[in-house]
Amino acid sequence: MSLLKPFSKLPGLNTANILLVENEEQFQQSLADVLVEETSVTVTVRLAKTLPLPMENDESRPRIDLVVFIMNLSSELSFQSAEASLKYLDPGYFLGKVCFMVTNARNASVPTERLDAVRKLAASLHCPLLFAEDQTPDGATSATERLLTVLKVAAGLVPTTTALYLSNLTRCTLPPDIEQPSFD
Amino acid sequence: MDDSARRLLQRLIRRIPAQMLKPTLDKWDRLTAAHRQSMDFTESKWALTEKLLAIYVIENPDHSMWYALQLVDPEDDAHSVELTQFKEQFKSHLRELIRHVSIKIKKHTDEAVWIRIAWGDSFSRPNHLKPTYVVHHLQTPYVFVTSLTSKLKPLLSQALVLSTRYQAIKDASLSARKLTAIRDLLMRQYQQVFPTKYPSSLVENNQNASNILINKEQAELAASRHQKACEAFGDGMLPQLQSAVYKLETKFRDHTNKTMTEREEAFRCVVKFASTNLLESLRHCASSGISSTPGTSLLSSIPLKGRNYFVITDNGPGPSSQTRQPPN
Repeated sequence: MSLLKPFSKLPGLNTANILLVENEEQFQQSLADVLVEETSVTVTVRLAKTLPLPMENDESRPRIDLVVFIMNLSSELSFQSAEASLKYLDPGYFLGKVCFMVTNARNASVPTERLDAVRKLAASLHCPLLFAEDQTPDGATSATERLLTVLKVAAGLVPTTTALYLSNLTRCTLPPDIEQPSFD
Repeated sequence: MDDSARRLLQRLIRRIPAQMLKPTLDKWDRLTAAHRQSMDFTESKWALTEKLLAIYVIENPDHSMWYALQLVDPEDDAHSVELTQFKEQFKSHLRELIRHVSIKIKKHTDEAVWIRIAWGDSFSRPNHLKPTYVVHHLQTPYVFVTSLTSKLKPLLSQALVLSTRYQAIKDASLSARKLTAIRDLLMRQYQQVFPTKYPSSLVENNQNASNILINKEQAELAASRHQKACEAFGDGMLPQLQSAVYKLETKFRDHTNKTMTEREEAFRCVVKFASTNLLESLRHCASSGISSTPGTSLLSSIPLKGRNYFVITDNGPGPSSQTRQPPN
């Protein structure tokens, strides 16, 4: 199985590489356009629909510092595709180099069980869970700011902080009443 | 245009004094210069009203359902029928079949012949409030009709067959609100994509090509999906079909439901796909990977065979029954 490995390549100077995985291939484009505008660090963005990544790109691909799974809560397929891609990541990534991003969480037609399932997944893997708004350019900008914070740490560009340390602070935790039925 | 609007127009024209009609229409400034020139103000008011209504329908052909018919078995001289011959033959044949009928034939700029028929019967004058419109492109076997009752269809079919020098006419199982949609679909006026062994990428993702910092990992897969989707449905702007109907007369097949599967007779149901632009949605399903490629031939038959009504029996998809009449 071709696993994506976190430390098998050398890092670049003042560079951070991020991989955005999204089944719908929509929001990742807007995020990528804002991410590359960052000036203090050179950010390269790789876009994919699912994992595993094609082997032909192995040689040219740089070391991936952060893998972000973007899920649209209004689609069950989105969640299942992200879950299926998880097994193609080397376990080394789950020490602070994986992040989950969820869009459309405010939509009333989303069943609450799906958000709970995403929460449980993120909590069990000790990864942060970010909520983003994908319909406006402001949403992409604010999501990018938060991703850049995590990315810079994961790429080792922030002194005195490591990805593992940050993930201890930002990882998703389950509320104690998650098994209780919700109000509606 | 609905009846009340039509009557309103008639009353307006009747009310306006004859010498004021031309200045009023000029001031209204809604007709193009060509239309204004074609309005002959020495005609009766009734004729002028009809002309205005005809202009309205030609400019707004999407207000009612259009049905496609196909002429079959051409005679030897079918391909050389030209306009004046067609006009004379059609008028004389139709007048032979039904006495009180008013026919107006006009050739449009895009080679389409528009025919407006107001039907009457042996007791009453032609009813101009509910005319039938027929569009035919000469030298093609396609005819498009709207607002035709099933009683009058055989008469129209007979007249069309005789005047176009074919032997028969059949229902093409294609209907839509937009005339341009069914016309473009049948005459394949959209961009076709043919299967090639070495496809050059149809999708040139210009935004990413210009920014080398953004890199699509699975670009080749996406490009081949897009290629297959375009092969099945076409590229660029697609004809705006709004629905596709599949009438299933097949046996029920589901292992988990024994009672239904054991029935001998066919399980009849109708599956309808509806959308503002059906072909565009189907192509997007295939190119974004929601449906796997190669897609089912049932859906790709829509553009391939140019129809949107199918009857599926257990022996495989068959032609819709010949006796089907377009519902009115």
